[in-house]
Amino acid sequence: MGGRRTGQILLMLAGLIAWAVQFTAIYGVTSTLCGRGWADANLLGLEVVPMTILSATLVTLAATAVALIWSFRNYRLAKHQPVAAVDDFVSHAAVLINGLSIVVILWHGIPAFILPACA
Amino acid sequence: MQSALDPAGGDAQRIYWLTVIMTVGGILIFLLVTGLLLYAIFAAPERRAWLGDRRTIIVGGLAFPIVVLSMLLPYGLTVMRDTDVPTPGALPIEMVGEQYWWRVRYPADQERAEFSTANELVVPVGRPISVSVTSADVIHSFWIPNFGGKIDMIPGRINRLNFTAERPGIYRGVCAEFCGDQHARMAFDLIALEPAEFEAWRVDQAKPALEPDLPSLVRGRELFRMGGCGSCHVVRGTEADGQFGPDLTHVGSRRTIGAGQFPNNIGTLAGWIANVQHIKPGARMPSYGSLTGEDLRALAGYLESLK
Ligand code: HEC
Ligand SMILES: [Cu+2]
Repeated sequence: MGGRRTGQILLMLAGLIAWAVQFTAIYGVTSTLCGRGWADANLLGLEVVPMTILSATLVTLAATAVALIWSFRNYRLAKHQPVAAVDDFVSHAAVLINGLSIVVILWHGIPAFILPACA
Repeated sequence: MQSALDPAGGDAQRIYWLTVIMTVGGILIFLLVTGLLLYAIFAAPERRAWLGDRRTIIVGGLAFPIVVLSMLLPYGLTVMRDTDVPTPGALPIEMVGEQYWWRVRYPADQERAEFSTANELVVPVGRPISVSVTSADVIHSFWIPNFGGKIDMIPGRINRLNFTAERPGIYRGVCAEFCGDQHARMAFDLIALEPAEFEAWRVDQAKPALEPDLPSLVRGRELFRMGGCGSCHVVRGTEADGQFGPDLTHVGSRRTIGAGQFPNNIGTLAGWIANVQHIKPGARMPSYGSLTGEDLRALAGYLESLK
């Protein structure tokens, strides 16, 4: 049973982990490139800073969306059968956390569309 | 008087609306939450029960903040993007904060020679301005509330502020970083002129000082030379070439003296020379209290004639 619980908790934290990944990618790349004065670094004609933000955002959004759908299914299942209080809580929290993570990842991606790369 | 609530440039306008929206929005939300809190405490249990509903929590605790913040975030970022933007072709002006006055330098361009003035930032309306600021001693801060942005003047570092004056007028700028005992008496005028007037002003300021044409003014110039004023002050076209204090070549054309402290006329000029340490204690200029009344009038008259 231990494996199942670990999986549930990982699923509950999936959005936060995706957010952390997006955060690290965005801040790491932006501050390194901007700090070294490579604001408009190019790779195959694409600007590296906005492209990193965009791709990190899309990838982590997709991962979080999968986690959200999955946790929603678990939540529906848990509703229709008697489960332990912990499982009830975890399935609830998973939906909320993954849902909020979507919002937060979107917020983190927005500046790339409005501000210049190293503003 | 300066006021950040009377914006006279695009940036100031944007910052003003940002302030209004945040303040009013903050107050409304605060009132709403306080109202609900009081309701939760004092209303009868069966009437306040809906506050604990799942619907209330999802709408009030999740949806509402998400929607509000999702609107504020792009709005705030847009304000950030549009404020203080460097524009190609902007008019460059350099300002140096000094204890306790402002050195203002208009660099040379193709046609015009460079010159310096003090405590007066004169700009044409409608043309983007790029002010480069630094400091000669301690940290000062350059702020014209009617034009928005405020920027630190840091020794050894050049910061830039970009803005455009949209209507002619005289606006007050202040030092916004405590810089010593006369910090509060460190102000300047921003004078926004129509472009043609600005050009005329610029041409006049670049000229050397006027030659005195009355015996008393000639006497005043002599006193200026003998008094050693020229070791701290420049009067272009004479031997006075001190760089420590304000350029006095056209001091008579300025609105104020002492960094925005006194109206500029022969009386205040005389009072300043004889009594600086009394009226602006700690200013980096000695009082010349031993001049006779007649000499003081001649000296002040000479400065006033330097239009
Ligand atoms: C030790 C250097 C020094 C000497 C010598 C000196 N000044 Fe000054 N003077 C200054 C400084 C510094 C200021 C700016 C003070 C401030 O506003 O805080 C100033 C300001 C002034 C101003 C006001 C300028 C303005 O636009 O606000 C006048 C006028 C003036 N001095 C005249 C004189 C005269 C006349 C003499 C000679 C009798 C003289 N100064 C000698 C340093 C000096
Ligand atoms: Cu100051």
